[in-house]
Amino acid sequence: MNADGNVGRTGGIRPEMRTGAWVALLLLWSLGPMLWQLYTSLRTPAALLAGAGGLAGGWTLGNYTAVLTGDPPFWRYLLNSSVVGALSTLLTLALAIPCAYALSRRRVLLRLLVGGGLLAAAVFPYVLLFLALLQVARQLGLANNLLALCLPYAGLQLPLAVLLLQAAFAELPPELEESAVLEGFSLWQRLRWILLPLMGPAVVSTGLLVFLFSWNEFPIALTWISRSELLTLAPAMARIAGSSVYTVPYGAFAAATVLGSAPLLALLLLFQRQIVAGLTQGAIKG
Amino acid sequence: MNALLLMAPALLLLLAVFVWPLLDYAWLSLQAQSVFTGLEAVPVGPLNWQRLAADGRFWQDAWQTLRFALVSVGLELLAGLAIALLLHQRWRGRGVVRSLALLPWALPTTVMALGWRWIFNDPYGPINGLLQSLGLASVPFLAAPELAWLATVVADVWKTTPFVALLLLAGLQMIPHDLYEAFALEGGTPWQGLWRITLPLLRPYVFIAALFRLAQALGVFDLIAVLTGGGPASSTESLAVYAYLNAMRFLDFGYSATVMLGMFLLLLLGAAALLVWRRQAEVRA
Amino acid sequence: MSRRLAAIAQGLALALALALVIGLLSRAWARPAAVVRVLMPAPFADATADLVAAFNRSHRDVRIAVTRGPFETEAVSDLAISSLLLGDSPYDLLLMDVTWTAKYAAAGWLEPLDAWLGPEALAPLVDGARAGNRIDGRLYRLPLVADMGLLYWRTDLMDAPPRTPGDLAAISRRLQEQGKVRWGYVWQGRQYEGLSCVFVELVSGFGGQWGPGEPGFGLASPAAARAAGWLQQLVHEGISPRAVANFAEPEALQSFEAGEAAFLRNWPYAWQELQRPGSAVAGRVGVTTMVAEPGVSPAATQGSWGFSLLRGSPHPDAAVAVLRALTGEASQRQLVSRYGYTPTLQTLFNDPELVAQRPQLPQLRRALDQAVLRPLNPGYAQLSDILQRQLSALISGRGDAAAAMARAGRESDLLLRASGQELSPRPQEVGA
Repeated sequence: MNADGNVGRTGGIRPEMRTGAWVALLLLWSLGPMLWQLYTSLRTPAALLAGAGGLAGGWTLGNYTAVLTGDPPFWRYLLNSSVVGALSTLLTLALAIPCAYALSRRRVLLRLLVGGGLLAAAVFPYVLLFLALLQVARQLGLANNLLALCLPYAGLQLPLAVLLLQAAFAELPPELEESAVLEGFSLWQRLRWILLPLMGPAVVSTGLLVFLFSWNEFPIALTWISRSELLTLAPAMARIAGSSVYTVPYGAFAAATVLGSAPLLALLLLFQRQIVAGLTQGAIKG
Repeated sequence: MNALLLMAPALLLLLAVFVWPLLDYAWLSLQAQSVFTGLEAVPVGPLNWQRLAADGRFWQDAWQTLRFALVSVGLELLAGLAIALLLHQRWRGRGVVRSLALLPWALPTTVMALGWRWIFNDPYGPINGLLQSLGLASVPFLAAPELAWLATVVADVWKTTPFVALLLLAGLQMIPHDLYEAFALEGGTPWQGLWRITLPLLRPYVFIAALFRLAQALGVFDLIAVLTGGGPASSTESLAVYAYLNAMRFLDFGYSATVMLGMFLLLLLGAAALLVWRRQAEVRA
Repeated sequence: MSRRLAAIAQGLALALALALVIGLLSRAWARPAAVVRVLMPAPFADATADLVAAFNRSHRDVRIAVTRGPFETEAVSDLAISSLLLGDSPYDLLLMDVTWTAKYAAAGWLEPLDAWLGPEALAPLVDGARAGNRIDGRLYRLPLVADMGLLYWRTDLMDAPPRTPGDLAAISRRLQEQGKVRWGYVWQGRQYEGLSCVFVELVSGFGGQWGPGEPGFGLASPAAARAAGWLQQLVHEGISPRAVANFAEPEALQSFEAGEAAFLRNWPYAWQELQRPGSAVAGRVGVTTMVAEPGVSPAATQGSWGFSLLRGSPHPDAAVAVLRALTGEASQRQLVSRYGYTPTLQTLFNDPELVAQRPQLPQLRRALDQAVLRPLNPGYAQLSDILQRQLSALISGRGDAAAAMARAGRESDLLLRASGQELSPRPQEVGA
């Protein structure tokens, strides 16, 4: 492994080629299905049904036009998901940061106890909660409301967020805060001016994970939102899959898939480091 | 006092979202709340639990869910380990490849499930296109009960292997380099190193990855809902899908709650078994 | 001065009155048309597109806006339920399968139509199409098109179709021995709704009934055991292929169309498929009702689609006007002649022009007169699932038919008790 890599660098060609072959296979496996979607989205229905025949003709942007001019247009779903994602992230962080701070300053016993509960909640398959949450939505009139949808999302992501942030708070040296107390800083001031600036990376990583979750969430959105102009991306895709609003489906399906994936690809390429940090932290610290 | 105040909003929301539903289900599972009762709760005693015990569909789905979870998590651990070992080596462009390989994990499940539906399409999907161009008959991947569950496994492995690979990669990076060098000096081959050093030291990470993934796979919903809808002949239906159908299609909230609570109890049982097994493994080691 | 003031006041008053009148008039002129939103499965949305366009051209005050629902019928219901559960239905009318009506009515989501359509609303329909629209004596649905289970037989292989289960098996065996066909009888044996449809007409033909009032929801009866046992026997004896356990409608149709089998159980749409060029049996197919034991009248499972008015519609009058227009004679005539659907209005079955175009209409009507319904029960979907499971296991070769049906009966009883049916008894009424 590591030895392999070293040998590769110092001269041998074969290990490097072998690595190259494996990397190519990995990329084919990871990206192949998405590239096939991209290809499909650019083909006319006739070209798709004719099989892999000629590549000379049969190209079109019509699938994208169809999806973007549908009712509601596809960008609407992306907008809804962005709004829900952004607000859920803010709400989650606003609740998680004070909680994580207080937890990190508590005695070890409480931390273990609460931490264990949070870990169980973070691992819990949350789809099991949908019925009770649906009843809440019915009774409190929270259905078909993008703002209200942020409440369960924040609740569902709090365990992971608190665990991640708590670990980050615990890493800050206690002397830092003690000296601030001596200088007469209030709790709020200490948080805002001393601790949070040092927490930047952890907050960003946590926020990104919460955003990804909210963007992708399906069962709760499926049961809380029924009006098509308020659907977020995930239930909208399911509805598109079930219906055939678009006459010959798969070209348009694929265009929807590509449009739905593009923002995430951008996010991933921009924030790769932070997302990976958040993910691995979550597993290792938890 | 101050600390409690800081924690209160988060804890309240957590109680509302995680604890209250389970209490609600415990109560609801002893009620009839269905179309028959006009969606009002009426106490029926343990009838829902009797029904659960005799419900062939519940037990079939329980078995199918378990089969799906064990097979896909097993494959994900193997593939994830291979990818982690690959990404752990030093080569140019590793960072870019790592983010590209992470893409399947980041996509919404419903988006990629729709993509897989097209890939498995009979006869126009690419796999069947390939088979036909080789002169073979096309295969109804999503229409044959014995194949459809494998299709769901493939789609799940594709999506979640990157997550497993990243966790294992983090674990690999914690293993001190010197161990391998010492081992190599003693004449060990890299392959032996994998078995004697890497895997034993990686065990806690494998355990965490397996725990996370098993819990998620046992609750599989999004993928099944879009890829197969639970069919054909409910051969890919998971417990979560069944609970969803009971509530949203059959309008039987009391039984839906019973199914979910039953599933929760099975999960607890599984988790307890896993913990005991791990404790024993530690004692033996 | 004061006169001038008075004049001004008068003028102002006049202007005000004028403005008011103009305003009111223009409001009336520009009164926005009531938009009636209709959710239909995609095939029906396509088939009715011309009718809807014609209606919108000829009506100023009412407009129809059709939502083209999913292809898969259950997904259409899911879409409607997800809105209705949240108390926020975007639809006025819903095109419903016959098996949904009881559930929607029990959930309180449907508005009874009696106030608009009167007690004789179903009188123009053929008998078989009247069933399944009333629940607890109230009319909840007006059917658009009907479907019924049929037995297709090969006119080139026999002079007359079998009338009893014994006949069917005997003719099949003879033809198989003579090597004329590979299989005797193909039908829908996969574990899905089609299997329940196969069973419900057969159990009637054996003198039983799937439904309330008898032990085990009618399944713990000798008739149910004999019907299930007969299906199992067909597979055991090789009259039906083993693969029938995985046959849905297309597979069964394909096998019969290729000339492999002497008999097929299917719906009316299969007729056109079997007559098209490329079909090995074109011109050699007859249609009749399902076999029944001697002395028992044969039965045909009814399936039908009809419109219901959803409670909370902001303009029920306009919605009912649309419902009337879409289920009316002109509309059904077009669905029959252009798309091959089966009508529900008596007059259309006797219409010489239509009969010339669709010669099988009289036979369809005879089958429809023998229609039996699947249980009109809000828990139908689960009851059907229980039955399918036991039947599927039997067909795949396992177990004893009587024991399996008894088990299905016990599970059905438990289901009904657990979901509260016996707590608030609702008399389930079948028929007109």
